[in-house]
Amino acid sequence: MPDLPELNPVIHGKLRLALLSLLATVEEAEFTWLRNKTGSTDGNLGAQLAKLEEAGYVQVEKKFVQRKPLTLYRMTDTGRTALTEYVQALKQLLGAAIDA
Amino acid sequence: MQEETTTQDLKDRLALIESMIAEGRRKTESWGWTFVLWGLAYYAAIAWSAWGHSAWAWPVTMIAAAILTIILVSARASHRPETTLGRAIGSIWIALGISMFLLFMPLGITGRLTDAHVFISVASAMLGMANATSAMALRWKAQFVSAVVWWAAAIAACFGTEEQAGIAFLIAIFFCQIVFGIYGMIREGRAKAQRGAAHA
Repeated sequence: MPDLPELNPVIHGKLRLALLSLLATVEEAEFTWLRNKTGSTDGNLGAQLAKLEEAGYVQVEKKFVQRKPLTLYRMTDTGRTALTEYVQALKQLLGAAIDA
Repeated sequence: MQEETTTQDLKDRLALIESMIAEGRRKTESWGWTFVLWGLAYYAAIAWSAWGHSAWAWPVTMIAAAILTIILVSARASHRPETTLGRAIGSIWIALGISMFLLFMPLGITGRLTDAHVFISVASAMLGMANATSAMALRWKAQFVSAVVWWAAAIAACFGTEEQAGIAFLIAIFFCQIVFGIYGMIREGRAKAQRGAAHA
């Protein structure tokens, strides 16, 4: 029986997984867009995005548009690779569970 | 970690990824302008056929409106990911357009489309059906009201005089195309502003 893959603990958190999945579909997204799509609170969302940024999975850009602060998030290549590997690991684990 | 993770949990995570990807692709759809465009096209065709007495008024205006819609939709769709619901709603309107064209064009060519009551009743009923289908799929009450107005115009056209049937048609176009289209555009603009933005 082949070795089962480890699930990446950074992505394994449900909100972080949801955020990476959302960011995988767009070039960049505002904080408010991510908050509305996930239904998360500002504090929790900020904390989870900071963890993803720390891991190098997302990039943050802060700027001012018409004197209003705007925070944009985009997925990095490392983040995309990590999400792809996570999905593959999930499928492998599910396959193993079905075979068992 | 795997030992603590159940099969159901793994499935839930896969489902979460799928739903978030679908959610990310669901942008604010902008279709209000098409209602206004087609409302104006109907008015142009009515005015041209009433004052110009031309048999070409309806086919030429409708084909022009269809070409303009295709060009504008293609230009907007190129940078907008497609969703299943969006495709389903689009299909309803495309099927309606084809059905109306295939029905009214031969009737017009063969000279059998002489009764204004029949034309207004059938066209209004078909537009009511498309609006109702879209309203039920989107769970959008305002569009269902539009469908009811079209159906009311279809019934009114059966019983009233030719002039009354024409007035009912003009009123239905005004409320269901122009007013509803502008309302849709305002609603889409507000939703976009409230939701923040993501750029595809």
